Amino acid sequence: MSLSLATIGIIALLALPYHLLPGRIRPWLLFISSIIAIYLLQPALPIRFSDFLLPTAALMLTAALWWWSRAPDQRASREDALALGLMIAIILGLSLFRFVDAEYRLTPSRPPDPLALLIGLLIIIGGVVVIIQIIKRLDGLRADAINRVPTIHLSLLIVVIVALFITLKTEPVAIALSGLWRSATGQDVTLASPIDLNWLGFSYVAFRLIHTLRDRLTGLLPSLTLREHVTYVLFFPAYIAGPIDRAERFVEDLRKVASGQWSVASENAVNIQQSGQNRELSSPSSTDHQPPATSHFQSALYRIALGLFKKFVLADSLASGLALNGVNAEQITSAGWAWVLLYGYALRLFFDFSGYTDIAIGLGMLFGIRLPENFNRPYLKPDITAFWQSWHMTLSNWARFYVFTPLSRWLLRKDWSSTIVTVLLAQVVTMTVIGLWHGVTLNFFIWGLWQALGLWIHKQWSDRTRKWYRGLKERPAQKRAWTIVAWFITFHYIVLSWVWFALPGFDQAVVFFGKLVGQ
Amino acid sequence: MNDTIVRQSLRTYITREFIRDESYPLTDDEGIITGGLMDSFALAELAVYVEKQFNVYIPDPDLTVAKMDTLNQMVARVLRG
Repeated sequence: MSLSLATIGIIALLALPYHLLPGRIRPWLLFISSIIAIYLLQPALPIRFSDFLLPTAALMLTAALWWWSRAPDQRASREDALALGLMIAIILGLSLFRFVDAEYRLTPSRPPDPLALLIGLLIIIGGVVVIIQIIKRLDGLRADAINRVPTIHLSLLIVVIVALFITLKTEPVAIALSGLWRSATGQDVTLASPIDLNWLGFSYVAFRLIHTLRDRLTGLLPSLTLREHVTYVLFFPAYIAGPIDRAERFVEDLRKVASGQWSVASENAVNIQQSGQNRELSSPSSTDHQPPATSHFQSALYRIALGLFKKFVLADSLASGLALNGVNAEQITSAGWAWVLLYGYALRLFFDFSGYTDIAIGLGMLFGIRLPENFNRPYLKPDITAFWQSWHMTLSNWARFYVFTPLSRWLLRKDWSSTIVTVLLAQVVTMTVIGLWHGVTLNFFIWGLWQALGLWIHKQWSDRTRKWYRGLKERPAQKRAWTIVAWFITFHYIVLSWVWFALPGFDQAVVFFGKLVGQ
Repeated sequence: MNDTIVRQSLRTYITREFIRDESYPLTDDEGIITGGLMDSFALAELAVYVEKQFNVYIPDPDLTVAKMDTLNQMVARVLRG
């Protein structure tokens, strides 16, 4: 989740010439910039050419899945051919940095040979086209295959993405893969490490791709051109750490940009903080779109400045000694310091991530794209359900749409199902998926279970006390007192869960829990 | 299936199953989830009820607080099919 001040400054400066361009050029500029950005933002990696090949793989995967997830009646157009041609030209163009001195390179390290790269790309594209044609021929033998969504193929592709995701996020598997790659490049296999496969942005790319595949299956995904699909998945302000937008919403803004209209996100950015409402899917009204005004840019710059302050001043200050980590957890001896570090970590995590989101949203606004909100004062919520509706909202909404709701609906349709068990099962699966999304480790799994248990207990409690709670409306003093108690319990339940999140080992977390109670 | 039947059916279901007080005077534009009368997880239960009762499938991304907070919103979504 690293984004330097210089990078942010360059992106913001790019917005100036962007506004002078004709409307129809602007979406193409966003497309080109997003492709170049995934190479620029990718950190350098030890395995030869991997920091060039991984962004290329992200790009190729996104393009291939666009092909698969097109609407059944959508044919590839000239514009799609142009987009594909541009993608290949940009990849080859960037590979020319091979012949440039390291200090002037835009790529993280020396790229592979352009000719070898071109041959490799042509083989991959040719291979994908041949496979698709063979499968289509086989499908064509069936009369009902015309104009239908290839359900099995799309479902299999979702499984493939999930498998790739698990491979990268599971340390022993990642080490094995890294070892194989190292042996192929003739590098020292004993140095294989998960860091070798630090594929920047892949977690977010994977979830966006699963969203488009799944929504094609359910018929919810609108027709997208290759350019729109690639821009949605790789949009540079949101590439590193989200938010995870929805394709139909993103493309609506993208098309407005082309027609010279703008999504005015400024007000929503501030209003969501003030209104306290949970906006799960932003649904712009018709009055939201208008030519950009000066206030629009002021709001965007304000949002970026706010994000920079949160991330680089507050979060980084806390990170330098006042936030829990694997090292200081071992060093401290008193319960007081243990609590200070834990509170410090909770605040650092919030300022870092919400600051990053502010920057991403502000940058999106500069280019006419309104990214969805990710945080809405989560630590002030009086219950854990409200917390999860206001913390990393786009991830929790994703998990709700694609895990919790389908699973609980499927279970509830069964005659034998019991609501209490269904909710528990669906919560456990959903929250462990969110936990393991951060990394396939025991601690993230326990963290997910912790959240699921909290959500389930809160649901049981609120179902049984709803009438009593409504009655508190007439007793404001009692209601206020109860809200404070509920907030205190919720806040500490969440803060304690960060122990599993911050510390890498199970034993280390258990020892730290002991230190919190003076053991 | 018309507005009155759907509205009455949903009102009865929500007051009985979620609010757990059938005498509760639920109004058409009252925030049911934002007002703390039911939680957002119960939207999955509501969706299964709508499937069984009216044979209408509401897609998962429509099951959000923003889109299904009031009786008016729910009735309109069911009638849209």
